[in-house]
Amino acid sequence: MSAESANAIQRSQVDLMDLIDWSGVECLNQSTSHSVANALKQGYRDDDGLNLESDADEQLLIYIPFLQVIKLHSIIIKGPEEDGPKTVKLFSNKEHMGFSNVNDYPASDTVVLSPDDLKGKPVVLKYVKFQNVRSLTIFIEDNQSDSEVTKVQKIGLVGTTVETTNMKGLKKIEDGH
Amino acid sequence: MVLEATMICIDNSEWMRNGDYAPTRFQAQADAVNLICGAKTQSNPENTVGVLTMAGKGVRVLVTPTSDLGKILACMHGLEIGGEMNLAAGIQVAQLALKHRQNKNQQQRIIVFAGSAVNHEKKTLEMIGRKLKKNSVALDIINFGEEDEEKKEKLEALLAAVNNNNSNIVHVQAGPSALSDVLISTPIFTGDGEGGSGFAAAAAAAAAGGVSGFDFGVDPNLDPELALALRVSMEEERARQEAAAKKAAEDSSKQEKGGEEPSSSQDATMTERASAVTSEAENKSIDFMDDDNALLQQALAMSMDEPASSHDLRDTDMSEAVADDPELALALQMSVQEGEKDSASDKDMSKLLADQSFVSSILASLPGVDPNDPSVRDLLASMQNQSEPEQKKNEENKPPNDEK
Repeated sequence: MSAESANAIQRSQVDLMDLIDWSGVECLNQSTSHSVANALKQGYRDDDGLNLESDADEQLLIYIPFLQVIKLHSIIIKGPEEDGPKTVKLFSNKEHMGFSNVNDYPASDTVVLSPDDLKGKPVVLKYVKFQNVRSLTIFIEDNQSDSEVTKVQKIGLVGTTVETTNMKGLKKIEDGH
Repeated sequence: MVLEATMICIDNSEWMRNGDYAPTRFQAQADAVNLICGAKTQSNPENTVGVLTMAGKGVRVLVTPTSDLGKILACMHGLEIGGEMNLAAGIQVAQLALKHRQNKNQQQRIIVFAGSAVNHEKKTLEMIGRKLKKNSVALDIINFGEEDEEKKEKLEALLAAVNNNNSNIVHVQAGPSALSDVLISTPIFTGDGEGGSGFAAAAAAAAAGGVSGFDFGVDPNLDPELALALRVSMEEERARQEAAAKKAAEDSSKQEKGGEEPSSSQDATMTERASAVTSEAENKSIDFMDDDNALLQQALAMSMDEPASSHDLRDTDMSEAVADDPELALALQMSVQEGEKDSASDKDMSKLLADQSFVSSILASLPGVDPNDPSVRDLLASMQNQSEPEQKKNEENKPPNDEK
């Protein structure tokens, strides 16, 4: 099974970090000194000292829009063994969710992370649900030790782009028979 | 210039009938709300503002967040006072209204007018605060009306729970200044950035003059003549009061130098005539600077024990001169008016007048003025005093005063 998933990752090998529309990234209930950039951005996320931390309570709501439509294959969540996320719900193409309406919609996928997963292992998602993703909302519901603060070191997204027309590549048909 | 959706929570409970904020607490609150709405919509045209009432039969949303200022102001009419304020429910409903705003890119803000006492537990308020923080809603609390330590503590705890760097609390005491005036200088207004503070400055200037933002309570656009008449009479009154105040202040020194009064009143006359010939702008400069330097000269005179304060007395005795001469009175009023308006040419004119030859040539051309008259010499000396407050020309004052 693990071999299969490893192959799957090799096929859709793109790390989707380059396709994130940074101007639209939002995170609710993050602490100001430990913001979502620490978990998502190149360089910051590889530094284990820099975390995304929650503020008022242990839940986090992260909204990530993409520059183009993608298919999401798997997700990598790295965190400390104790305060790392446990239950993570993913919603595709739902804009501007709030903590009050997270439970109104069924999640596209729900992942319960084990401490093993928190070491940075890719967790395969229900690929069929993530075929046409413009934006992703990650709702971290609780953490491993049920503490007040949830800490996340890295969030990585793996998938492929949907074949879209590259407007620059369009050429005028020459009408000179 | 932050793009923001704001919900304003108004307290329309029975406690708002109190008149410790002029004219009533409720009216002061309404004025403040109008100001805030204006400031928000001006600082960014896409900002929206909504209003809800917390007391009455229950929390009621009067208008959902909109950028239409007219709608907001209209809904403030016909509001009834009654019931008890429900702060917790008010904030929660405001949060809900903001959640359903049309433009999700706007930052969320709640402004609460906490007038009556707060009956909720501190814990309840803290929980509400934490919820606001979690949903990144900023909170501004305006604590006015009922004053007690417990209320203050609870509101501070609520603010601490929200703990946003955008959130503020303002405590407004009852007093002569209006609620809106106090608020203008707070971060609630100035936190809006450039646009908001520009509006706020204009509103402050207007509000300083009158009630509903217009000078003297009359719209210059609607009724310019009335506005002008009110302004003129206001300034006349001010001038009269200034003269009376100077006179009262000078009473003590007057007793020492009583003999100089007649010469001083003549000086005043000279002042008026000389200036009337050259320009009225000059006149105001003399009067203006006389007022300013009066106290200085008085102090210097007393320390130097010289009768140099005749010029001071000249100011106060203008009122006597006024009584003698109705034309003079008119000129005086006009000059004071213009003196209030523009003091830029002050320095130029006084330099001009300091040029003794120039002044004496003018005076010579005036009918009934003898340049050798001691009072004229007094006047010339005072011209120079204004440009040189060190009073080097005191000697010139002595001869005329000795003669009197």
